[in-house]
Amino acid sequence: MTRVHRGARVLAELAVVALFALFMIPFAMVVLNSAKTAQGIIFDPLSWPTDWGRLPRNIGLIFSNSTVRYAGAFLDSALITFFSLVVIVLFSSMCAWALVRTRKAWATILFFVFVAAMVIPFQVLMFPLVRWMRILGDFLHVRLLQSIPGMVFAYLGFGCPLSIFIFHGFIKNIPYELEESATIDGCGQARTFFEIVFPLLQPIIITVLILNGIWIWNDYLLPLLMLGSSGAVQTIPIAVTAFAGAYLKQWDLILTSTLIAMLPVIVLYLFAQRYIIRGMIEGAIK
Amino acid sequence: MRRQSLVKVLFVLPCVFAFTMVILVPFFYGLFFSMTNWNGVSETTKFVGFLHFGKVFTQPAFIHAFLASAAYTAINVTLVNAAGFALALVVTGNLRFRNFYRAGFFAPYLIGGIVLGYIWQFLFNSAIPALGKALSIEALQVSFLSRADSVIWAMSFVNTWQYAGYIMLIFIAAIQAIPASLMEAAKVDGAGYFRRVFHILMPMMANAFTISLFLTLTTSFKQFDMNFTLTNGGPATRFLDQPVMASQLLAMDIFNTAKANRMAEAQAKAVVLFVALVAVSLAQVSINKKKEVEQ
Amino acid sequence: MRRCIATFLILSLGLAAAVMAAPAKPATITMFQLKVEIKDALDAYAAKYGAANPGVTVKVETLGGGADFAGALKAKIQAGQMPDIFVIEGAGQYNVFKDYIADLSDQPWVKDTDLAFKANGKVYGFPVAIEGYGLAYNADILKKAGVDPASLTTRAAYETAFAAIDAKKKDLGLDAVVSMAASVSGGMWWVAGQHNLAAYWGGGLKFDDTSVIQKALKGQLDDARFAQYAKYVQLLFKYADKNILLNGSYDNQVSSFAQGKTAFLHQGNWVDPNLKQLGVAFKIGYAPHAFLDVEQKGLYLFAPSWYCVNPKSPNAAAAKAFLAAMAGTAEGHDYMVNQAGMIPAFKSVKLQPKGQLSQALMAANAKGGNYGVFFGMLPDGAGQNVFGPIYDLFAQNPAKIDQFISDMKKAVAGLPSM
Repeated sequence: MTRVHRGARVLAELAVVALFALFMIPFAMVVLNSAKTAQGIIFDPLSWPTDWGRLPRNIGLIFSNSTVRYAGAFLDSALITFFSLVVIVLFSSMCAWALVRTRKAWATILFFVFVAAMVIPFQVLMFPLVRWMRILGDFLHVRLLQSIPGMVFAYLGFGCPLSIFIFHGFIKNIPYELEESATIDGCGQARTFFEIVFPLLQPIIITVLILNGIWIWNDYLLPLLMLGSSGAVQTIPIAVTAFAGAYLKQWDLILTSTLIAMLPVIVLYLFAQRYIIRGMIEGAIK
Repeated sequence: MRRQSLVKVLFVLPCVFAFTMVILVPFFYGLFFSMTNWNGVSETTKFVGFLHFGKVFTQPAFIHAFLASAAYTAINVTLVNAAGFALALVVTGNLRFRNFYRAGFFAPYLIGGIVLGYIWQFLFNSAIPALGKALSIEALQVSFLSRADSVIWAMSFVNTWQYAGYIMLIFIAAIQAIPASLMEAAKVDGAGYFRRVFHILMPMMANAFTISLFLTLTTSFKQFDMNFTLTNGGPATRFLDQPVMASQLLAMDIFNTAKANRMAEAQAKAVVLFVALVAVSLAQVSINKKKEVEQ
Repeated sequence: MRRCIATFLILSLGLAAAVMAAPAKPATITMFQLKVEIKDALDAYAAKYGAANPGVTVKVETLGGGADFAGALKAKIQAGQMPDIFVIEGAGQYNVFKDYIADLSDQPWVKDTDLAFKANGKVYGFPVAIEGYGLAYNADILKKAGVDPASLTTRAAYETAFAAIDAKKKDLGLDAVVSMAASVSGGMWWVAGQHNLAAYWGGGLKFDDTSVIQKALKGQLDDARFAQYAKYVQLLFKYADKNILLNGSYDNQVSSFAQGKTAFLHQGNWVDPNLKQLGVAFKIGYAPHAFLDVEQKGLYLFAPSWYCVNPKSPNAAAAKAFLAAMAGTAEGHDYMVNQAGMIPAFKSVKLQPKGQLSQALMAANAKGGNYGVFFGMLPDGAGQNVFGPIYDLFAQNPAKIDQFISDMKKAVAGLPSM
């Protein structure tokens, strides 16, 4: 009995390793080819790099390129992503909680509108959006186009439906008694949310952060429309396309810059995992 | 009590404002443009009513794109959710290095845009045919991307590879929210692994399935990026006796229409996509919700 | 409770304040272009021009990644940020953007070029460069195979030459005779549906003879001429590397030729930088796309894009002066030829570009007898959405030449209603 079990276990683990390898092949191709010249990549993308010293040289080429401000784009991307995530998590969780705990028609309708909006294809919105952002910006005397705050505002608008949807599903399953007792204790509504509900949301907050974070970090079309391709504010995906002409694509630089752009996300993800687990343990103690 | 609702209104306000400005207003703006002769540039436009809507349904290319999108969505929703659920089970089990695997399965989601297209094009067009030649397997020697009957499957495969880790995250959160004691109790009662999964785990996470199905359904139907970088709509095939693009999905058809300076027509097609998507996702959510209630 | 609301308000205000901060905009010429290949050279030239002309700053924005340039330009109009100088690629785009395009007929460079963009007898576009193509060949391989490139002036000559090379494929180390991509999936529909088809529109005719395409725009195909052309396409497809033809990318296509695995390459002089990147050392030349039964010796030359000036901008005069200097000064010529590696469309330029194919084109241009390229006159999207799939299908099964002809006939008949 136990021997059969152990055999099955080993097989299962092998299967997982094989699956893992399948998921890693394309990823490995990015790493391997980041250590080659463009010629090497085009002629033989599968081979092992002959000289790993090429990788730091490629990285150096990217950061020292005079016309592509990669370091600046990195910073702008980081700022846009960070502030977008802060407002998305904060405002979406607040909104979702208010919608769950309001048993009135307007809350139901509003939630439905948010969900329905998720099916709107971006292509319908893009040109009217840019036109409207100009009108709105002029009206409010605020610079929405070609600015970081404008991008953050747009990402809040585009990111909140999904985030509200996810928070809504999670908050529904939090027992209302917890909040009730807090209210009886004399804690205001807002304090109830920030002190009781918000900490309980930790695991799902991390999910929301990851889902939105990667989308925003990699997004190309919205920044292109709102920021332009070489304006004062730039993002990494836009900077990377500067290495790709219609005919001549500098694959060495494209792949290396993609690799650099991926690293912080992977590190953050590995780091955040600990919190997912910790959030669960704390939840269990309470 | 009134104070309470004031707080709630204040809580809702920031999202509602951003959402209205960024999505709702442009959406209705776009709806208006779909009924005009707007070309994306002109300041003055003429109202033409539903002219474009009638026109798009006479185009074999658009009808094909519609059907291809439906087929792709059906395949993709099944594959991504099955794979995402299986991965979530694997990495929540008591496995060594499970955090490592978790990061690994999620990693494909980090590769986007032109790089993704480049890598998979290479794998499909060069690596797999080379493998086919080495093993003398005829079926592998012609690229899956250049066959009209397999290209949709190839796209779904790549999409599963890319998004299964994403959907996995949602399932992980749901699985971890289920008290471990429940599964333990069932195990003590002698229920086998699959029995426990199907009869305890899955019903407990019905809500997560509603979310993930909705997400995959809408993203598949709206699929653009990967379509653009991996297949670019190709290869060509014959449909209603006209050459059309075998893997050109709706969003890409809309993009190409807009690119050809037929802006208003593209807006009209986008509205059609929107209406279809609302209908399908409403059906899905209401079926799922019913299931959730039944639990 | 009150404190909670106060905290919330402060938070929102802080956000609003962050949104309020807006930088000031200096008065400069803005230029928006799509050739990533010349980005560095153009940025440097713009900086140099600014230094030589106090008070003038030229800011160049380049759209990379082969992205949808006209779409990005539309977004700029919607955003109220129309650049002073921008690019159009043909009549379709001219019609869309014409409210933003100034009449340049009075500019000094107009009489120095044959390739300015014209509409209704007026000049609206500054030709960015001359580009062109024929069938590029690897001179070393042709020599070894005993084929004289000068003999390739009729379809019959090509048939013999292709068969001869094909027979010696193994000895020559070739995968196939021709490197040509035509697939929609590889993003290469334009090689066949635009550049190759241009042979039918303009091949064998006078440089500015647009009669064939004018006829097509009215919905008619010249059956006898097209039958000869279709046979030429069939011939190319028959001897093309199948993998490259059916799903190869631009890089696949060019690298096969660069590695000496194919003898011919169906591309224009824009591959010069690619061949340099891939370390090509062998000698390359151009043979004509000779599809007719009679002899054809010319190459296909055109301006693929033009700079236009936005007349609504207060900087319009400065923008015109910037373009005039590019066409008329030694610094401008140096930038176009030596820095950007382009073939300028201006006769007064005497410099020679470095690329082998560019040099071949310049020689052909000096000799004369070349053909015009007119696909820019077609409705927008015709190449990609209509002709692209037809060539893709034909490439999948080159035996079906009748189907190809009837598909094209139907497609051309539909052109007037596009």
